Amino acid sequence: MALFVAGLSHKNAPVELREQLAVEEDKLRELLSDVSATGVVQETLILSTCNRVEVYGVADAPGEARAVAFRHLCRYRGVSPASVEPVLYTHVDADAVRHAFRVAASLDSMMIGEPQILGQVKDAFALAQACETIGPVLHTLFTQAFAVAKKVRGETEIARHAVSVSFAAVELAKKIFAGLRGRAVLLVGAGKMGELAARHLVEHGAFPIYVANRTWQRAEEMARALSGAAVPFAELGTALASVDIVITSTGATEPVVTRAMVQRVMHGRRARPLFFIDIAVPRDVEGSVNTLDDVYCYNIDDLKQVVEANIRERLREAQRAEALVEREAAKFGARQGDVEVIPTIVSLRARLEGIRVGEVRKALTRLPGATPETREAIEVLSSAIVNKILHAPITKLRESSRAGSSRSWLELVHELFGLGRK
Amino acid sequence: MYPTLFDLAIFGYIAATGLSLAYLVQREEWLHRLASVATIAGWVLHAVALLALAFRLGRPPLGSLSEAMSVAVWVAVLWALWVERQYGVKVLGAFVLPVVLVFSLNSATTRSLGIPGIERALGGAWIWVHIGLVLVGIAAFVLNFAGALMYVLQERQLKAKRPGALYYRLPDLETLDRLTYRTLALGFPFLTTGLILGVLWAGRAWGSVFAYDPLALLSFVAWAIYAGTLAGRAAAGWRGRRAAYFAIIGFATLVLTLSAGLFLPGRHGS
Repeated sequence: MALFVAGLSHKNAPVELREQLAVEEDKLRELLSDVSATGVVQETLILSTCNRVEVYGVADAPGEARAVAFRHLCRYRGVSPASVEPVLYTHVDADAVRHAFRVAASLDSMMIGEPQILGQVKDAFALAQACETIGPVLHTLFTQAFAVAKKVRGETEIARHAVSVSFAAVELAKKIFAGLRGRAVLLVGAGKMGELAARHLVEHGAFPIYVANRTWQRAEEMARALSGAAVPFAELGTALASVDIVITSTGATEPVVTRAMVQRVMHGRRARPLFFIDIAVPRDVEGSVNTLDDVYCYNIDDLKQVVEANIRERLREAQRAEALVEREAAKFGARQGDVEVIPTIVSLRARLEGIRVGEVRKALTRLPGATPETREAIEVLSSAIVNKILHAPITKLRESSRAGSSRSWLELVHELFGLGRK
Repeated sequence: MYPTLFDLAIFGYIAATGLSLAYLVQREEWLHRLASVATIAGWVLHAVALLALAFRLGRPPLGSLSEAMSVAVWVAVLWALWVERQYGVKVLGAFVLPVVLVFSLNSATTRSLGIPGIERALGGAWIWVHIGLVLVGIAAFVLNFAGALMYVLQERQLKAKRPGALYYRLPDLETLDRLTYRTLALGFPFLTTGLILGVLWAGRAWGSVFAYDPLALLSFVAWAIYAGTLAGRAAAGWRGRRAAYFAIIGFATLVLTLSAGLFLPGRHGS
């Protein structure tokens, strides 16, 4: 009897195929009971989101169970199984455990750390429970997966740091001001992006909101939509004096906020910071205002740069999260009372990953001018090499464990990779 | 027995400093927890060591500059622990503890050198108040310095628009500015009162205040810098970077003052 997961995801299946296979809740109920009625699986759960369709199950013959499940799925959606088969992946036992943990912890997501996936997994679990296709194995697995996901969110920062421009602006504001409650916001121009950024600030407590626009009527409309007040465009200079955050998104071809204007109001502000979020192209705020004391001016490119840094920070955190998941998966495996090979796999992975990280760092210090793209490419390349190298020995170890002949293999791997005595 | 306790306390601070710096880089929660434990352990050992010393000497452990600095460190660590909780600045340790460490190593290396005739010279009760007030002020300025340093670093990140590791670790500018202001407002009255008592006492005991005492001279420079910063903040609305720079300059002067006391001949020193 083996635990398995079979499916396809954004990693290898195109969106056309994923959307064809996505199943809504009612159909999912039918599917769950049909698949479990065939008797090939003891337990099963189906996770269907726009980025992945996966069948988790416990079966004596995982290969057969996978074929049956996807045959049903394809029949429901009128998709030919031949188009699905090539992109399907299957993980068994310890790999399936790790996969479930990674998915729930949002490490396998398109945007690492995105929060929706955990809710989707919980929904899928609840549905399978309602359909009574969950047994002790999947119950333990998913309860643990939820705990691991929570731990990953709590102990790493993969879910923190905005990955959209408007949220990045909110986070920046929170690094300048101690909270946004009661901070006055001035929205200049009536663009959609500006409105979105203003809404995010309002959600974080910013108040009051002023709106200035060349067309008075448009300013009033927008002010009403944001529960703010319209101010005349001509009095922009005065309005600047009393607000903390300015969002500009006009269609003007010349800057509407000049350095001289800002310099004038800064005198009266007694060093109260002023934060410009300039999302207009061409820019609405003269870039040189950023050199004034207590003035911070971010244009759209600056914000994108912050978002990129945030994503890099998430990816860095994701490495820690992966290690955490690996540990938890090993613990889980050990608790399940099998796989004496997991500690070796973990230290083998750690060993190669350590070498990789060290060498990448060395290489990057020799390439001070490397662009973020180059850096990322190096990361991806080196990770891929490590994974490819690891694949064969890990598979062999797992097989030997299942065949009950792991001892000599373990010794061999320890010797070959200098992992120290076990 | 007391040097052993002091050594253990310093060992605790060394461990805490290392762990805090590691936490700044690595951001592993357990590093922060360990750093807190090491800090508290160091502080408790330090407290016991100071008590033991006081009993042995039969007077407050404030009889020499190095003793007084040791007490200042002890107060600074206490405040750092409190501020960390109050402001939620978990990386504070990485900025306070190195200073603490330098101070305590300093006071450890000069510990053996007592001031000859100190017992007689320190006759009046006022002198203890003078030393006590000044060192509480110094402890506050350690935090003042840490807050200012963090402010300058964070401000630089925000201006440069290239978020680095520190951008993610450090709190917001306003919190840091508030921390810097409050520690200044707290430390300044202690320093001022302490210095006034010192002047009065020195006038009576030595006849002249500044005569050949580098520490006394420099301490008034430091006081003037802090006084100027406080006045600027209160009256001219100085905030942010300018106030932070002054806090850093003020602290540098203070360190210079203490070093002068420790290493140059003079009435405060060894």
